[in-house]
Parts: sequence; C-alpha cells; structure tokens
Amino acid sequence: MANPLTLYVPIKQDAVSQAAAQLAYQNFVKSVTTGLDESAIVHYARVALIPNASGQGTYAILLITTFDGPMNPYLGFFWKNPSTQQAFAGIAAIALTPPNPPVKDLTGFENFINKNNLSKSASPGKPGDLYEAYTKTVKEITSTAKELVLPKQSV
Amino acid sequence: MTKTNNNSIPDKSNIQGMILRGFTHPYSCHLIFQFNDKKGAKSFIKSILPYIQSAESWGDLKPDIMLNIGLTYNGIITASDLSETYLEYFPNSFIEGPTSAGSQGSLNDWGVSDPSGWAFGNDTDEQHVDCVVHTYALTSEALALIVSIVSDAAKANGPTEFLPVDNGTKRLEEYALMPRNVVHFGYLDGIDQPDLVWNDPADPNDSGDLRNFLIGYPLSDAGPGPTGDNPAGDFAKDGCYNAFRMLYQDVKAFDDFLIDNAPRAPKEAQQTPEYAQEWIAAKLNGRWRNGSPLELSPNAPDVATSHATDFGYKGDTTGMKCPFAAHTRVGNPRDEVLNPSEPSPVPRLIRRGMPYGAPPTLKSYDGERGLIGLFLCGSIATQFELLYSWMNTTNFANSFPTQQGQDGLIANRDMPGADRSYNIPTADGSITIDSLPHFVITRGTAYCLLPSISTLKSIAG
Repeated sequence: MANPLTLYVPIKQDAVSQAAAQLAYQNFVKSVTTGLDESAIVHYARVALIPNASGQGTYAILLITTFDGPMNPYLGFFWKNPSTQQAFAGIAAIALTPPNPPVKDLTGFENFINKNNLSKSASPGKPGDLYEAYTKTVKEITSTAKELVLPKQSV
Repeated sequence: MTKTNNNSIPDKSNIQGMILRGFTHPYSCHLIFQFNDKKGAKSFIKSILPYIQSAESWGDLKPDIMLNIGLTYNGIITASDLSETYLEYFPNSFIEGPTSAGSQGSLNDWGVSDPSGWAFGNDTDEQHVDCVVHTYALTSEALALIVSIVSDAAKANGPTEFLPVDNGTKRLEEYALMPRNVVHFGYLDGIDQPDLVWNDPADPNDSGDLRNFLIGYPLSDAGPGPTGDNPAGDFAKDGCYNAFRMLYQDVKAFDDFLIDNAPRAPKEAQQTPEYAQEWIAAKLNGRWRNGSPLELSPNAPDVATSHATDFGYKGDTTGMKCPFAAHTRVGNPRDEVLNPSEPSPVPRLIRRGMPYGAPPTLKSYDGERGLIGLFLCGSIATQFELLYSWMNTTNFANSFPTQQGQDGLIANRDMPGADRSYNIPTADGSITIDSLPHFVITRGTAYCLLPSISTLKSIAG
C-alpha cells in the first residue's frame, strides 16, 4: 500500500534562508536521487517553493512524495543516507519555527517529518487523501521494467 | 535521579526487571489504568512502588509478589513534571500512539481489529490508557494479594481501571495452567529471544546489544530516543519501550484451517491426519509446535532441535524447508538478504508475553483467549512497527514471490490490497492456500515506557 508525505515547512525570511531554499529547490533531484534510488520504495518525490503573498520571496517549502509501505520505520534509512539526511536537515535548518527537538538525531528527524506532514489520513493508517491508479510497488515496477525486452527496430 | 555516562555499564538496580530477564513466575496479571489527575497519578505510583522488581538478581529468594510499571505518553504528561518542550523530545511514534496514522501504517488494524472495537487503548477520552501495571506472583493467592494492592491503590488515588476481558468484566490475567511458554495455537513460544549483551566496546552489528533496547546509551544518532543531556533524556534513561498488545487467538479458526488443509500436505506427511495437520501448522510458523525449526528439522519435530536458534535461511533459497512467509522466518529473517532500505542487522524485540484465557475444551471453543503481548524495544518505529509491517506485507526481501503477501499467522487479512494466499513449496510443486483466515485479532494496544526506577521515584515524589 502506498502512502503520502506532504511536508510543508514555512521558512525564515532572511536572505541566507531564502537563498538556501532556492538552492535546495534547484539541486533537489541531484541531491536526493542516490538515496531514493537505493531505497527502492519512493515512487515520486518533488519539491516546490510556495511564494509569499506579496510575490516576493518564498514563504514555505513543500515536499511531496508517495512511497510504499509505512513511513516511520523507514525514516531511519533516509536519516542514515547522507544525501537524504542533508536534504531534510537543510530544510529543517531554515524552518521558520525551529524544530523541537532539534533535528540532530533520528528522533528529531522523525518528529520533524511527522509534525510538518500535512497528509493526515481520514482514519488511522488508512489514507483517505491519496488516489492510486495502480497498486504495484516500486520494486515490482522496476523489476518488470528490467525484464521487458524491447523489440528490435526494423530497418 | 541516577545519572551515568553513555559508556558506563547500566545499573541493574535502576532498571525494571522484565527488561533484562523473563520472569518465570507462573501467575501474572496486567492491570490497565487511566489516571484521573496528576496528584492521584503520583500517589498511585508511590503506593505501588515498594513492590517494584528491578533487574538485580534476587538470589535464592524469589519474590512472592512483584510488579513492573509502564507509562504511556499520556500517562507521562499527567504524572510527570516534564515541560511541554521536553515532552516533545520523545519519538513521534510513542507520542502519537498505536492508533495514529503513522503507527497504523505498520500495525494495520483493519476490520475485525479496528481500534474502534478495542477494549482499551484507542484515542477516545474514555479509552486512552495512561498506565499498565504488570504484576507477578508465585501462587494464585499471592497474585490475588498483589492485584488487590494495586487495585486498592487505584481506588484510593483516582485511576480508573480497564477490565478488558469478557465485555469489561475481567482483568487481563495469564492462564497459569498452560504449559510454560506454550501459546494457544499449541506452539512453543519465546525460544528465540535476542541474547542481551553489553558489548565492550559497543558492537553496532550485534542486534542483541543492550544499547539497542535501553534508552540512554545510543550506539549512534539513530537512538533509542530521547537522547542527550536534557530533562527528557534524563527521564527516559535506563527505560525501554513496551508495545503492549492484547491479541485474541481464534483457535477454532486455526484448528479448522489445519483440518481443512491437512489433506493437501504431501504424501510423506500423510502418516495420520493429525500428523498432516502438524505439518501444515509447522509450515505456517516455520517451527514445529514443539519448537524445532524447519530449517534444521524439515521432516519431523525433533526434541534435540526444539530450542535451536543457531541456523539461517541462506541455504533455503526456494523455501522448500521453510516457506518464506512462515511467521518465524518473517519475524527474524536471520541471514536472509533483505532489501537495501531495510536495516542491518535485522532488528529484534524482547518478547515477554504469555497466554490469557482457558484453552478450548473438547466440546467447545467458547471463551476469550489469546496472547498478552509485551514487545520490548528501544524504538517503537524501527523495531516493533517495522517487524509488524513485515508481518502484514512480506515485501522486505526479493525472495518473496509476491510483494503483497502476508505472514502465516498474525497478519491482518482485511488490509486493503493484501494477498491472503500462502505458498508452501514442496518437492512435488507448490501448495497454494488461496486465502488465509484471521487467526489473530487485536483487542487493545498501549505504547508504554518502562521508566527507570529512579524516574518512577522522582514521579512519586
């Protein structure tokens, strides 16, 4: 069963934090690809910057992913993986409300992710806010893709 | 409060006994409470604290009566003086509790196990649990004594007690007449516990290293949490989490399943109908009911292997000896090659459970019976919930023929998308059982911290 994470983190308005948000946005795919590839449980992950109402600067970072299985038992993998730890810790560092506890260990990471996750299911563990066109896991899809033999092009 | 540095050996006199040792007292009762207010909660704990058993050796004088105490996050909020800032230092899974969306992603208590039907532990004001008191005794009379001590302390100080058995009329009490370590499905249980050790130096590759279970001595920044030199870290140090589950076991469904499917066992298992049933039971569990692992005794139970724990699955890549989804193979996959996203080493749980309710008679299956599950861990999410998620969806290794399958015994069969079929490879081809029934139904859950004795004393004041 796939589950959603919708991480919504309003950020500080100072120049350094705003620049860091831009950098995180521009480098997102590059920075997390290795970790997410290794996990083989994340279907899609994308990041967006929510602009301030004035149109100037960024109000919040929005990270949206869909992944196979439960989230909390696997946060340890993303915490241990240097690329994903750096990406999440970077977001936590510019959060408008400093994370409590600080994101210095797995507990802090678990709490930061859960506190800022907008995907609160209609009933426990039973997502009422996620549409799924298919039920295959990332592993099933990628292994099927590897088995596919493309027909030779006729000349 | 006792404070030690991270490298010092923990003080056993400060640790609740059940964490380090499985109590062998034949009688136990597990009393579940909701506090009324802070003053009453403190007084209640103070009243029963003289009976607490630490992890220190009791020598030749085994205590007649003793108890251990667990507090949920709500219980800690009510009973402790921790500020809101430091309460938030506890891990999210513990804070949010077993009915939260995050935890249910692993536990998957669907349908017949839905928390709305639990006898205790769902999130409503009436149902939330603050404290579980685990009482142990050498005789039934002694158990009655310690239970009355705890019960009287509750009556005097305000906590309300849940009576989770038989529609709110009985306490959750161990069925003392069951053979030791045998559960209602007839299996010998509790064989394969982690060998708790205090490695010096610490060994991150040893899942039995006590630092994986005891809070305050983290092997890495992965915990157990809360970590650090702060009020929450001090409060939790020398404690351990206990995922406390009341699990009804449907013995009739289990027996009927064995009878119905025994004819499908291969010829060599058809010596008698009863033996064929034993064969099916072993294939669901990964061990024969006497405890012999299929990996070592694939053809018949063997007294010599009934407590064996020294084996792996690398030599059984087809599941011919032990099906991939057999309960014990899922719960502890040992040397199996797991997906990259899975932790290494495989996490373990300390299991301190026991059966409740009388077994069925020859005439009737009526009555409430099951397992009082005490699953001790340093991290609810990365130990207990991870292993539970594996039971509900056996997708953690490439060996599984389906990524939506489930373990043979305890998975929730109502989970959407679950593949309820069960595959038993044999030399004559696979036996595929189309749909496993519900063998186990959740009746209640509470995530507790088993605090250090110094922390309990500080609460009691």
